[in-house]
Amino acid sequence: MSPERVLFAFVIVLALTLNAGYSVGEIANPDHHNVYELYAAIVVNLIATVMKFGDRSPLGSTMLATSLVADVQLLAAAAAWGYFGSLADPIGAHGMVTVVSLSIGALVANVVSVVLLVIETANLRR
Amino acid sequence: MTPGAPRNRHGIFILFRHLRVPLVVLILVYAVVVLGFTLVPGVDPAGQPWRMSFLHAFYFVSFLGTTIGLGEIPHPFSDAQRLWATASIYATVMAWLYAVGAMFAVIRDPMFRRVVREERFERAVRRLHNPFYLLCGFDDSGQRIARELAQDGVGLVVIDIEPDRVDEVDLGELQVAVPALVADAGDPMSLQRAGLTHPLCAGVLALTGSDAVNTKIALTARMLSPALRVLCAARNHAWQARMAAAGADHIINPFDTFAERVALSIRTPSLHVIYEALTAQAGTPMDEPPRFPPGRWILCGSDLFVRALRRQLTMLDIQSTLVDSVGSVGPDAADLVSGDPTDTHVLRQAGIDKAAVLVAGTAVDIDNLTITLAARAGNKQLFIVARQMQRRNSAVFRASPADLVTVSSYVLSAEVLRHIRAPSLSYFLSRSRDEGEDWACELLQRLRELVGDEVLESWSVRVATAASPTLCVALRAGEAVTLDRLMTRTDGTDNRVRALPLLLQRGHERQLLPPIDTLLALDDEVLFCGTDSARSIMRNTVVAHELAAAAVAPSP
Repeated sequence: MSPERVLFAFVIVLALTLNAGYSVGEIANPDHHNVYELYAAIVVNLIATVMKFGDRSPLGSTMLATSLVADVQLLAAAAAWGYFGSLADPIGAHGMVTVVSLSIGALVANVVSVVLLVIETANLRR
Repeated sequence: MTPGAPRNRHGIFILFRHLRVPLVVLILVYAVVVLGFTLVPGVDPAGQPWRMSFLHAFYFVSFLGTTIGLGEIPHPFSDAQRLWATASIYATVMAWLYAVGAMFAVIRDPMFRRVVREERFERAVRRLHNPFYLLCGFDDSGQRIARELAQDGVGLVVIDIEPDRVDEVDLGELQVAVPALVADAGDPMSLQRAGLTHPLCAGVLALTGSDAVNTKIALTARMLSPALRVLCAARNHAWQARMAAAGADHIINPFDTFAERVALSIRTPSLHVIYEALTAQAGTPMDEPPRFPPGRWILCGSDLFVRALRRQLTMLDIQSTLVDSVGSVGPDAADLVSGDPTDTHVLRQAGIDKAAVLVAGTAVDIDNLTITLAARAGNKQLFIVARQMQRRNSAVFRASPADLVTVSSYVLSAEVLRHIRAPSLSYFLSRSRDEGEDWACELLQRLRELVGDEVLESWSVRVATAASPTLCVALRAGEAVTLDRLMTRTDGTDNRVRALPLLLQRGHERQLLPPIDTLLALDDEVLFCGTDSARSIMRNTVVAHELAAAAVAPSP
């Protein structure tokens, strides 16, 4: 058990959990989705991406790709929030649905990322 | 990582891998600062409590961190916001400096630069779309060959182990873009990256200074792409056999080549003139060859250069005295003087006053120059041959009392170019060596009448469908086509171009100096020599015949 691996897994799983926490709830209801949670998800996702640059494992390239997908989706969600939020205050139902569906897309990518992490860890045991 | 797994050496990934920590720091600092701005309370112009949205916070931090500083946007800040902004300035500017500093450190890192250079090299090799030669070794001879081949428009890829010499590829102002790599040419991986298995690779020139490395290159080329032509330079006879066994198509020994030339010029001087004129690099007219006066030779030096010369002289029954500072006494110790050849006393001891020719053949340029000076002082009539090692000393050698200066790298490059440009020429030259001086003298006379003071060029014409389609059509139709027709101008004057057929190759049969009424057959290859204008006219003729034929009888 190395602190480096713990931190690596921690960041990747945290990216998933924050993303999931934000996405859960009624899709069109702004009260169910906390903007700070989205912000935290974006920051942790970016850090996870940077950490994956250094990963030399065979699955490293796939993990990096999933992370980049999550980044793109989450940044798009943040941009959509900024845009729709400036059109109407509070944000309209269509705007909210767009933001949350984008973050759900990122959630899928993050799930794949964690699955890959588990597969890789299982392979290490051999 | 398993040994066989592809290495992650893409430059951009290496850059990011080294920038992990600075990037994480930058993201964290930004995250905290932006978050702070959304939480710190402010007051809008109406006096209502107001907090920044994430959009405004990110916008503000973006121009704050990059020191652009557009001011307090959108509303003038409260004291709490100003306090947070002050802390943010220091944090973000520090984080940026750290990140940018780390980035420059990686970019300037020699390892990273090497990876980027290699990547660029591999991309350049992959994108080559003309046949190219893989040149291993970029010393004086390699540079000369590269220059000449680039002038011919032939593609090249260069490998050398010395970074300085690889820099010469850029500095040398070659006329084509030449990818160059600093690598050990004896390493099969490097050779593959340099395009050894590239479908357009026309041949490998193993011209590194080491016979062992050259042998390994030949072996690698033979194993990995058996169809390639491999030219090897060798200095030691012991390695030549190994190179031949490894599958080198041609082995060139610059010492032997020079010694053979010397022997040739003594035995059959006219042939030597032809030889020189045909093998000289572009733009040298036919010169009188050096005439070695008859008599005893003094050979100064201790390496293979001198030994090769001595062997040839012995075959011609010319007496020679070896002056050797190393003192490697051979079986023929009778003609050996042990001592420093730059010393006048030693030269006198070797009998310089009665000698006819002196060869300053040590491996050190300064020694050779000193020997020429000492020898000229000892004997005014002496014919002095000096061996030059480094090209940059040319001016000094020209000013020295030497009557003939030989540069091994020049000899080597001339031989290599001959093999590349006109492979049949080398056969012609080796066949003509069997003929006597009378034959050579007559041929020289004909060439002189033909070419005069112009530069003698050689080229070959192949009667094949691709090169000369109309000739082939005529031949297939049963028409009799003679060599004469190839050599006739098509501009209506029917004059013959100033060229002479040297060799006709038909299958495995070769005919020396074919008469011009020889009937041509399909797949014949004819080696011509003549003026440069004759060469270009003949190239056009082959095409022009086709146009004329097309005008007369439209092809079906």
